[in-house]
Amino acid sequence: MSNKKNILELKNITVSFDGEKILDDISLSISDKEFVTLLGPSGCGKTTTLRIIAGFLEPDSGDVFFDGEIINSLPANKRNVNTIFQRYALFPHLNVYDNIAFGLKVKKVPKDEIKKRVKEMLKLVNLEGFEKRSIAKLSGGQQQRVAIARAVINKPKILLLDEPLAALDLKLRKDMQTELKNIQKQLGITFIFVTHDQEEALSMSDKVVVMNEGKIQHIGTPQDIYNEPVNAFVADFIGESNIIDGVMLDDFKVKIEGVTLQCLDKGFKTNEAVDVVIRPEDVDIVHPEKGLITGEVTSVTFLGVHFEIIVDVNGFKWMIQTTDESKVGDKVGLLIEPDAIHIMKKSKYSGLYGDYSSFSDEMDEISNPDVEIVSEED
Amino acid sequence: MKKSFLSKLINAPYILWSAIFIVVPLIIVAYFTFTNKNGSFSLENIYEIPDYTGIFLRSIIYALVATAITLVVSYPFAYFMSRTKVRTQSMMIMLVMLPMWMNLLIRTYSWTTILEKTGLINSFFGLFGLGPYNLIGTSGAVIVGMVYNYLPYMILPIYTSMSKIDKSYIEAAKDLGSSSFDSLKRVILPLTLPGIISGITMVFVPSVSTFYIADKLGSTKTLMIGDVIQKKFDIDVYSGIGASLSLVLMVIILICIVFMNRFSDSEDGGIIV
Ligand SMILES: Nc1ncnc2c1ncn2[C@@H]1O[C@H](COP(=O)(O)OP(=O)(O)OP(=O)(O)O)[C@@H](O)[C@H]1O
Ligand SMILES: [Mg+2]
Repeated sequence: MSNKKNILELKNITVSFDGEKILDDISLSISDKEFVTLLGPSGCGKTTTLRIIAGFLEPDSGDVFFDGEIINSLPANKRNVNTIFQRYALFPHLNVYDNIAFGLKVKKVPKDEIKKRVKEMLKLVNLEGFEKRSIAKLSGGQQQRVAIARAVINKPKILLLDEPLAALDLKLRKDMQTELKNIQKQLGITFIFVTHDQEEALSMSDKVVVMNEGKIQHIGTPQDIYNEPVNAFVADFIGESNIIDGVMLDDFKVKIEGVTLQCLDKGFKTNEAVDVVIRPEDVDIVHPEKGLITGEVTSVTFLGVHFEIIVDVNGFKWMIQTTDESKVGDKVGLLIEPDAIHIMKKSKYSGLYGDYSSFSDEMDEISNPDVEIVSEED
Repeated sequence: MKKSFLSKLINAPYILWSAIFIVVPLIIVAYFTFTNKNGSFSLENIYEIPDYTGIFLRSIIYALVATAITLVVSYPFAYFMSRTKVRTQSMMIMLVMLPMWMNLLIRTYSWTTILEKTGLINSFFGLFGLGPYNLIGTSGAVIVGMVYNYLPYMILPIYTSMSKIDKSYIEAAKDLGSSSFDSLKRVILPLTLPGIISGITMVFVPSVSTFYIADKLGSTKTLMIGDVIQKKFDIDVYSGIGASLSLVLMVIILICIVFMNRFSDSEDGGIIV
């Protein structure tokens, strides 16, 4: 029934709270020693998915397989899975040593062995000498390390990490990303990592699972989801993209803005309406006469490495990243190579993303009085 | 930090209030303890104290037993209460607090109608041709009276510290392999310790010094020190022995509070005296 090589499998998991579907038909296979990231906006069901895997929540329908066996109703304390919680949940009444030793003490491991293994863990997370320190006297980064040590000392098959880096500042965050990767390699266990930071997801993962509104949108390697997003939501969520309405004239031929372009995609119906993704860095700015498409520059922002230029083409605004300088009001031509074009089937997200004529979505939300902004921290 | 003149001014009424209602009565108690009828210095009231050792011991033992029973009853109660829905919780708190709004004398008096020979319990047993049992006038009745009266003072602080525990701690304990019993022992119990300590203090202190309960529900053999002191002052408002017994009782309570305070970290769950 289930593939033995997969350490964990979710099959058609559905969860509802108060009649609202929070997870909708989630299916996911994770193999041993893999670094998998669940990526999606706030409230899309990432934590809920982790809670299903950890055993804090039973799915309304669907099955959870661990090593090929159904574990739907196996309680959390009997699962070979450990969690690093969104806000660490370190025990405030215990010091660093006792926090890390907690799991082994519960399992009645002999004292000498506990001592030895805690020592190893403190070394692994670079916290030697902090044994007696109380939790309240640790910095965010140090608490983070204690949480890692407390979880992995139990030698879980799978480690679940719920936005473990969200509370850290940028520099520490970058360091911890590398460190987490190293720890995962060193221990040789599966990591299921939750984040809503797409850059973090791309740089750390073997496999990225993009979620939205309780559904999995796309599963693939970081390259896959960046280069070949399945729909407008994924294309927009992973990096910047221009998403233009197009028509597939034939295999390898797509028409946008009245111009027929060569592309590498095939297998669509003749004259099928499609979404065309073109990444900002894949467009060349040329003299208007040499370009396939022409437009007018409406804004130029210098970002150090490159300029970010907005070009108005028949009312649709493209974002282009280029090292060539242009001025607002310039008429420019756009040159697009066939391999810069990615064709997606129309989805319910078509038309919602990929146009730079307004501010970003977040900006819209901030200035919309009907949208309540829920802050991450409490 | 140096206190400003303004803050001294703001504190002044409080200090005056404390002086009048706390310090002055203490001085008066001490005065009557160390003087005789003629108002001259004397230790005769102190010499009489050893005669009451038995009653002091009985009071302490009754109070300890009553405190232990309230703790054993309250802890699981607070635990399950904290796990119910929020609306159920506030409903239950209301019910726990309801008797507190009634006078202690009335509450205690109602127990006599439950325990007496023709009371509720004996009538019930009577239906089966049993009894009547001698329930009133026993040490059991006195302890039941204290448990009933002081139960809310145990439940509320424990419940408060219980409901403050972040759910994620309990999940973390589960995640690390704890059974429900393990998480109770290793996480919930230590985190509710401040509540337990303040509950113990809030039950033990009024129990050890209580009067009326033993008088109403007990017999002459179950009298507690509070009743003795009350009777002394009933007979003579200027009772020297009444004052000296009060002084000893206060010292006992003070020792108890200092002792309990040592267990709790000063930060939260501060003891309300
Ligand atoms: N116990 C619960 N009862 C009711 N609704 C819940 C419960 N837990 C989660 N939800 C709802 O389910 C949705 C998904 O929540 P979840 O915590 O899985 O999101 P998330 O992807 O982890 O978001 P974030 O990035 O903000 O942590 C949210 O809308 C949340 O309000
Ligand atoms: Mg979450």
